[in-house]
Amino acid sequence: MNALHAEWTKLRTVPSTAWLLLTAVALTVGVSALTTSVVKCPASCTADTTKLSLTGIMLGQAAVATLAVLVMSGEYSSGMIRVSLAAVPRRTTMLAAKAAVVTGVVLVTGAVSVLGSVLIARLLLPDNGFAPISLWDGPTLRAAVGSVLYLALIALLGLGAASAFRDSAVAVTVVLGLLYIFPIIGNLILNAQWQHRIERWTPMNAGLAIQATKDLKALPIGPWPGLGVLALWVAAALLVGGLLLKLRDA
Amino acid sequence: MTATITPYRSSQQTARDGFTQLVRSEWTKFRTVRGWVIAMCAAALLTALAPIELSATAQNHNSLDTVATGPAGDAVIDDFYFVHQPLTGNGSITVRVTSLHGVGPMPQLPSGFTPFPRTQPWAKAGLIVKASSRPGSPYAAMMVTGGHGVRMQYDFTHDTAGLAGAASVASPRWLRLTRSGDTLTGYASTDGTHWTEVGTADLAGLPSTVQAGLFAASPAYMQANQSFGGNNNGIGGGPSQAAAVLDHLRLTGSWPARSWTGGQIGGGEGGPASIIQSNGGKVTVQPGAPGPASPDHFRQAAGTFTVAGSGDIAPYEPVTDPLLVCFYGTLIGLIVVIALGAMFITAEFRRGLIRTTLAATPRRARVLAAKALVAGSVTFAAALVGAAVAFPIAQHMLNRNGWKAPYYQVIPLFSTTGLRIVLGTAGLLAVAAILALAAGAVLRRGAGAVTSVVALVVFPLILAVVLPLSPANWLMRLTPAAAFSVQQAVPQYSQVSHSCLPYNGCYPLAPWAGFGVMCLWALAALAGAMFLLRRRDV
Repeated sequence: MNALHAEWTKLRTVPSTAWLLLTAVALTVGVSALTTSVVKCPASCTADTTKLSLTGIMLGQAAVATLAVLVMSGEYSSGMIRVSLAAVPRRTTMLAAKAAVVTGVVLVTGAVSVLGSVLIARLLLPDNGFAPISLWDGPTLRAAVGSVLYLALIALLGLGAASAFRDSAVAVTVVLGLLYIFPIIGNLILNAQWQHRIERWTPMNAGLAIQATKDLKALPIGPWPGLGVLALWVAAALLVGGLLLKLRDA
Repeated sequence: MTATITPYRSSQQTARDGFTQLVRSEWTKFRTVRGWVIAMCAAALLTALAPIELSATAQNHNSLDTVATGPAGDAVIDDFYFVHQPLTGNGSITVRVTSLHGVGPMPQLPSGFTPFPRTQPWAKAGLIVKASSRPGSPYAAMMVTGGHGVRMQYDFTHDTAGLAGAASVASPRWLRLTRSGDTLTGYASTDGTHWTEVGTADLAGLPSTVQAGLFAASPAYMQANQSFGGNNNGIGGGPSQAAAVLDHLRLTGSWPARSWTGGQIGGGEGGPASIIQSNGGKVTVQPGAPGPASPDHFRQAAGTFTVAGSGDIAPYEPVTDPLLVCFYGTLIGLIVVIALGAMFITAEFRRGLIRTTLAATPRRARVLAAKALVAGSVTFAAALVGAAVAFPIAQHMLNRNGWKAPYYQVIPLFSTTGLRIVLGTAGLLAVAAILALAAGAVLRRGAGAVTSVVALVVFPLILAVVLPLSPANWLMRLTPAAAFSVQQAVPQYSQVSHSCLPYNGCYPLAPWAGFGVMCLWALAALAGAMFLLRRRDV
């Protein structure tokens, strides 16, 4: 409990936290609003409007991942990690406390971002010839809640990577590379089999399946199994990160 | 007696502090950090391996297209309706065109595609002199087009504009094609008495007897579409037909047959309107509306000819640019050099080395310039090696996987396109590293700098696949991601309506122009970084 309180204090008192959380909300809502405003019905009537209104998550996650990386790597760059580990010698406890605090903060930020995106989409969609979306609709609610969970999982992925790589720039590069390269290659690769595999098994492609509300049968992976695949990546990252944290000198 | 005290003077020579010394010190900083050198070598390796790996798994779907082999050995479309008779030796043919318009059924498109114009902009009809009736043989033609005025075209890739405006009864277009040896000269006129030369074509090796006469063609309706969710991403369309009315036909020279024969050259005979959708590896063909009933191709009555045709006489442009797709693999190396570029300066802020650096060289802008030069050149050299190795091997792999002539022409490394792709890829990575360096100087934190540059350079590519075509094209004009156009391999001709998606090679900007957009971003970021570095305390 004290470890949690300590982590919360550290996170709260660093100015970059507030900036990054604000950036995450602004990027998510901003990109969602922009994409929703350029997709119009006579041309794209079949569009999945729920997924459309949550597009910003794809960019907002970059700020969330950066925040999570800094929670761990920031301590290594300032030397604070030695103080932290002197105070909480059980390293898994420290990692768990960090994970809990970051997850809590990201869940709140994610909820704000998702609600903002959905509200703006409700305003924009009718002007573009679509029916407005509603959170009372089952699949839309699942997509919205799932997107918040997705952001929390991305934060944990960042935390795991930072525990493994220590340096913030390296950890952020690894996380963003893992997230962004596969969707691009997956869209272009001239091999249907590999395209299918990438869509099923890579963190961003699989994880964002949670946002789909149309043609679920045609999806390469279902919404919840997709989020499950991302959770496996996160578990692996935390496991490797935790092990390295335990085994190495700080 | 007063003793004079000589002030202490160091016997060391004053160190030179020119820009060369500054660059040298920055180079020393780079090469003595083992992790950075290893990462830069890894970036070079990944830049080579990723395109090779992507080409090794590439499957070919080009069997959907029918093409002929043109005079230069490249793939061409040579499908049109030809009303011809032999011409022996020199001679000329003159005709007046009073109309050219689209006929026949229009393809039924799924939602998301905008309706096509009735007459295709590159529908064409007029005069043609062709070595033989074999598809792909050399030719020269004078024509009116649906939306691009009078043109003279020859041997598929050459196109010269003549009179503007469409042909009509009120404003007819007179065309003339004259053969003199291997040289064909095209003339156009609005009244049949005042002629202007449009162009000349030198068709070396033209046989003494050639086929000459009237022709009509209309390229397939083709439209690239992208909608959110990807339900109808891809290319849709179907064959189109155009009919032309021609009269006042006048021949000079030796035309031994004395009568006209009509016939289809190549394929392109109607066929069902089909919707071809290709989204990366997935290609599906849906049957569309039934094709046009066997049309009335050729009618001759009292000196007035009506010729209707489908198809095109033009260079072949594939729907996908396979080499470009494989070179997207350089993205992995790109992300590595972005991290290196950012860390090259943020590590100094973190360790406090920046204070030593700026004490040694108080002119801060020059420090940043030296850093940019070192980061840029080292990245350029590493990426150049990677790209130059990947270029021939990736093409060899593509060839092995069915991307063969005439559909796919192997591009030599030492050609304009080959050098552009390899040098452009190296430049793309180098400028990205400089952009990251500038972001690092502004933000002073490695993580923030990497995230913002990746968001600027890489993220637009993700959004460009998701968004509808027009906003996607704006992203590829305005963001640094425009620079990926420098990797475009398949040439784009102005006399063909392009129908492919940005990530398949149809970028809204020309290759070097797209690269220029990224350079502007890097310059702006460097200027901002110099301003802030001079103003702020370290």
